[in-house]
Amino acid sequence: MQKLERSFYSKASMYSFFVVMILILSMWLGTGQFVHVDMMLFGYLIGSLVFAIGITLRMVSWSLRPATHQMLKRSFSNLRNRERKKRNISSIIKTAIDNIILQKFIFKRGIYRGVTHWLIAWGCIGSFAITFGLTFGWMHFSLIDPETYQIIVMGVPTITMAAHGLFAEMVYNGLNITAMMVLIGVLMALIRRTTSPDVKVTQRTEFDLVPLYILLTVTVTGLVLTLSYAVLDGWMHNYLSLIHQITVVLFLVYFPFGKLFHLPIRPMTTAVPMNYQEHLQVDTRACKRCETLYSNDDQIADVKEILGAQSFDLQLSDGTYLSDYCPACRRRMRVMKQMNLESQHKNPYAPIQTMTDVQVPGFGKHRADSYYEKKDKGDKNHE
Amino acid sequence: MNKIMYLEFERCIGCRACQAACRECGDHDAKERNFVEHVDFMESRQTFPMMCMQCKDPACARVCPANAIQITEEGVVLSASDEKCIGCRNCTFGCPFGIPKFDFEENKMYKCDMCYDRSKHDIAPMCASVCPSDAIRFIDFDEMQSLRRRRTQMNLVEGKKPTEQDKWKYVPEFFGVYSD
Repeated sequence: MQKLERSFYSKASMYSFFVVMILILSMWLGTGQFVHVDMMLFGYLIGSLVFAIGITLRMVSWSLRPATHQMLKRSFSNLRNRERKKRNISSIIKTAIDNIILQKFIFKRGIYRGVTHWLIAWGCIGSFAITFGLTFGWMHFSLIDPETYQIIVMGVPTITMAAHGLFAEMVYNGLNITAMMVLIGVLMALIRRTTSPDVKVTQRTEFDLVPLYILLTVTVTGLVLTLSYAVLDGWMHNYLSLIHQITVVLFLVYFPFGKLFHLPIRPMTTAVPMNYQEHLQVDTRACKRCETLYSNDDQIADVKEILGAQSFDLQLSDGTYLSDYCPACRRRMRVMKQMNLESQHKNPYAPIQTMTDVQVPGFGKHRADSYYEKKDKGDKNHE
Repeated sequence: MNKIMYLEFERCIGCRACQAACRECGDHDAKERNFVEHVDFMESRQTFPMMCMQCKDPACARVCPANAIQITEEGVVLSASDEKCIGCRNCTFGCPFGIPKFDFEENKMYKCDMCYDRSKHDIAPMCASVCPSDAIRFIDFDEMQSLRRRRTQMNLVEGKKPTEQDKWKYVPEFFGVYSD
């Protein structure tokens, strides 16, 4: 593996190379040795390959960050661990349903936001599936008899359907349906982004609004294309399809480098129940000082390792690390340090030690044993 | 942004106005992002306000596996961006000062952002603008330097810098103004 890696400039270029090779191989298989390549989609093909390279590049550089690397390392070692099989499977299924398919956590931020995001997300994923399936030739339609179509996936004949049946219409209009979903979602998002004062606090045009504008142009040009052939007898169809192609290629090239890149990294949410918190809000590790439960051992070990890898020296003089304490204790320690009030956590019921031996009434009257011992010794010397 | 946040813990009277103000700030979603806590409840009633230090090289951002914590050009460390935060709480445990909070319902981290929409225009953050005892102040860098210098001089002129053992004698005048 290392030898192979050394024949490339970097890990990223090696993985990009293999990803492109696999895609072309899958295309070769899917299109029956390039017989069924749809030349109308050539621009999309180039765009998709650039998209694949971009995603690979970003994924590699992202997974090389110490924090991400540590989390991935633990995830994979847990995945290989047979004793954790049950926990792994349940956490993967739970995350997939709650966080990715239903996106419950966004609905909890607001129904409007939830609906917006769900429409955009599933519209985009659906469009991606159809676009990639067609451009790489993973699936194509063939006419068996004048009334029946068949979908051929990777050269394997699968479903047959009546050419004008309901299912067939849904398949033909798949991209129109997903485009409508994205269009509604994007419009909702744009309304929220322009009217809500809360989002304006940290909103950046180039980061938060540009992806929405790009999605808007893609969906609008796509739907206009449908309008052109369905209603307007193919008016300006050549030009419109070219414009749509340009916007889609722009979108594909932009995708890995902008805000939309959060899509491929989202599955890492699985790592949370799998590695750290099996049940939400159930902690197992106690704070070194106040003994409240605040985290779990694996996570603190990871945090220490990540901080160590980036030369954060957060070790205290007694050998413990700041992450061994709960957040409340850490805040208190900082204040005590700054106010010069640091002290060992003494027994609060023990007598108070004072320099002047003046005891404040109301506190323990009994002095520390060392005080009496000293006095006894002194008395002996006098004798 | 030329102004800085200046905290004097011993001036805190524990009224929690800063927390109430924080809830009102834009984008804070009616949840406070700062803390008012007791220094050591067994020994005194002294409280302290606590905000984010806005580190130059924030540990929270470094331990984030999703690269979700961004820093603005003014140097304000923002809450984890909604779309990237995977809800692992690494930031909460990595932060040496225990600042980031976590919302289990919405599955995201939120932290003090110095009321970014205000402070980027040199307007005092909500907490500083309401603090009745000036424990939290939003002042010029130079003013902060002179305040610090005065504190040091005060301690030196008095000639009796309290130590751990005799701090009790000084309690009525100042409580733990001994940082310099």
